[in-house]
Amino acid sequence: MRGATDDDVEERGVELGLSLGANKNQNHTATARRGPPCRILTAKDFPASIAGPSRASPSPSQSSSVSSSSVRATDEDSGTDVVVGSTSPETGSGSINPSSSQTVVGWPPIKAFRMNSLFNLSKEEPANNKLKKANRKGHHVSCSNGHSLAEDQDKSQLSGRCLYVKVNMDGDPIGRKVDLHSHGCYESLAISLELMFWGTTTSSTGYMNGSRLLDNSSEFVLTYKDKDGDWLLVGDVPWSMFLDTAKRLRIMRNSDASMLSLRFQQTYVHGGHEQS
Amino acid sequence: MKVQSAMFYFPEEVIEHIFSFLTHHPDRNTVSTVCKAWYKIERLSRCEVFVGNCYAIRPDRAAARFPGLRSLTLKGKPHFADFDLVPPDWGGLAGPWIEAMARSCPNLEELRMKRMVVSDESLELLVHAFPNFKALVLVSCEGFSTDGLAAVARSCKSLRELDLQENEIEDRGPRWLNSFPDMCTSLVSLNFACLKGEVNLKSLERLVCRSPNLKCLRLNRAVPVETLAKIMNQCPNLEDLGTGSLLADQFSEAYVSLISALQKCKKLRSLSGFWDASPLCLLAVYPICANLTGLNLSYAPTVQGQDFINLIQHCVKLLRLWVLDSVGDKGLAVVASACKELQELRVFPSDLFAAGPATVTEEGLVAISTGCPKLNSLLYFCHSMTNSALITVSKNCPNFTRFRLCILEPRKPDPATNEPLDEGFGAVVKTCKNLRRFSISGLLTDQVFYYIGKYAKALEMLSIAFAGDTDQGMTYVLNGCKNLRKLEIRDCPFGDGALLADVTKYETMRSLWMSSCDISLRGCKALATKMPSLNVEIINEWEAEMEENLNNGVAEVISNNNNKHINNGNDERKVEKLYVYRTVGGPRTDAPDFVWTL
Repeated sequence: MRGATDDDVEERGVELGLSLGANKNQNHTATARRGPPCRILTAKDFPASIAGPSRASPSPSQSSSVSSSSVRATDEDSGTDVVVGSTSPETGSGSINPSSSQTVVGWPPIKAFRMNSLFNLSKEEPANNKLKKANRKGHHVSCSNGHSLAEDQDKSQLSGRCLYVKVNMDGDPIGRKVDLHSHGCYESLAISLELMFWGTTTSSTGYMNGSRLLDNSSEFVLTYKDKDGDWLLVGDVPWSMFLDTAKRLRIMRNSDASMLSLRFQQTYVHGGHEQS
Repeated sequence: MKVQSAMFYFPEEVIEHIFSFLTHHPDRNTVSTVCKAWYKIERLSRCEVFVGNCYAIRPDRAAARFPGLRSLTLKGKPHFADFDLVPPDWGGLAGPWIEAMARSCPNLEELRMKRMVVSDESLELLVHAFPNFKALVLVSCEGFSTDGLAAVARSCKSLRELDLQENEIEDRGPRWLNSFPDMCTSLVSLNFACLKGEVNLKSLERLVCRSPNLKCLRLNRAVPVETLAKIMNQCPNLEDLGTGSLLADQFSEAYVSLISALQKCKKLRSLSGFWDASPLCLLAVYPICANLTGLNLSYAPTVQGQDFINLIQHCVKLLRLWVLDSVGDKGLAVVASACKELQELRVFPSDLFAAGPATVTEEGLVAISTGCPKLNSLLYFCHSMTNSALITVSKNCPNFTRFRLCILEPRKPDPATNEPLDEGFGAVVKTCKNLRRFSISGLLTDQVFYYIGKYAKALEMLSIAFAGDTDQGMTYVLNGCKNLRKLEIRDCPFGDGALLADVTKYETMRSLWMSSCDISLRGCKALATKMPSLNVEIINEWEAEMEENLNNGVAEVISNNNNKHINNGNDERKVEKLYVYRTVGGPRTDAPDFVWTL
């Protein structure tokens, strides 16, 4: 994850237009960049772990090994780690353990099916504890709707299914995937997305104040595409209903969101689901 | 000339009869190219077709060419899709193939598919179009649910084989098992180990009771020991068993019946499953170990340490072993001393973080190679490897046909010498003349590719990651490996120079995959221009960026849907993912927005 200092956190708190993707050949327009550029790490970002023979260093314009389908979210029961880090040469790899194969997308080459099975295998999996240690932020979000994160993890482990949906953020060409089943509530999901796209939560007190993605206080809002293809604001239906209908997520600019009339109406009835 | 005119006097039936002795499909492909007459005879009499890349030919054309088809094997997505490197919705749809078969090949009885997307509707179509359908094998597929399985179960009067391996199947409840009609007694092989949900245990027992021919049965984790024991009592002729959850209390009736049931199955040769296996249940398995030829413990993290040793030391006839690295070097040493006939070994990682005390190292591999000289197929995940170990292994086991070594940390050198692993892998290709499949890892320079190009003459499939220094590396391989069919590369510094070094080579191969390398759009376009018989596809998920560009009027929108984003003027852009394959089917008609055919 990110080797960010408090200063960095504050900087990013101010500027949420941080554009991920250091590929110089991409046509990024207005998104200003402050702070070190972030991109998905690949092993080429790590110095050889032992001072070995010299080898050609990879060209800096090489795009990182990223695709929205290959990134695994901070998923406490899937045994994989978020592949985001700040990688300017000055800060280096920060708190990331360079000998871990976890920060490389699609590596080690184990079938996704096997990965999912292996790490969903035992319910009181000690790996969960290891994962909490390895998760550098160590967030444990307790969900206000009464579910604890652990309960819902058990549920999804029992059903054995992950529910990965794609997430894109406006201005960021790199899409991600997040496992909805690994979260018990919207807060947890939103915090996780903030970590994924910004590498940190948007307030220095972390999750205590809730995610800014959900409370309309940031430049971005979190939206989702439902079964019928409509884009809706996240947070308006009960969590379990959301799990059933959400097909895709998008972190949209607030300005765009209002143009698309996503504002929740009290009496909104959608596709047979009645909002409470 | 004389031979040819002599053949003219043979009636077609005779030639057809001669061809019936050719079962190997490359041979049949060859005879079909001799002359028109032979092409016609061959195609009308062909029963089995293997399509290694479902986009290499249009389904309609394949179906029209082989109207007598009985068995079809299809492969869809590229191999790296297994590791999430191919976006979902990429393609590999089974629907068009099933529809084409339904129109043109009335005799279809068997369908085997790997890495394809199959819908429930397609499965329904399949079983309705072919009431005599006999065998469905799905490996690493997705897109269907237990409802589709119910359709298959319900409609096939004489289903022999339903084999589901590592598929992502949406669970819509356990009722699909009830769908097998009471008159269905033809099952020989049933594998639903990859199903994550509950199954109806009573239905399962009844199904097994009325399937006297059942030889292979692989259950999922939801099946408890009690049911397993009942089932095994019903089929003493079982040869291949995948257990369900192997958890039972001592002195419980379930445990006792398991022991007696296992002893009845004298023909049992292959075991898998072992979910939640308790040491007690393992004890029950010991009596049948002596006859086992196949053992898969790779989903059983509970079987390690002394439990594993106690089990494996009885397995003296073992040919195939899949385990987790939690068995440790110590466990592998016991394998080496007990399993002298071993031919295939796969060691999967149990923990992706730090190397624990009981994981495997080069010592385990060397021990195996010393004790099991017949080893010819290896998949080995470890945290480190040395050149000297690899050299020793290749000396001990010169018969490798498949050698895949994955050092978990990318670019890790030999810890003893700090050197790259070129010499170690080089030794493997030098001594193993029959090597067909090779995957390499660790710190590697162009030198290893020099060795591969020079010595790996039988090589058909090569997987490379985080290796090499310059374009020369890839060029060595393209120039030297005459039999290369599939080349997949990720995160290597190979650029346009390597890609374009020998463009005609790709016509002799099934496919090339390159991701996170140093190739540019210009290079890919050049390849596409020079080689019209290839589909040159790039995968780029720049949707968000494109939207942004369009909003800001940066990109020129061209009406040709496929070229919408390609021609915005910047050919120096690096291509993230490239997939090149030979085809007679032209560009894909079902490519999603993010797949651009150049």
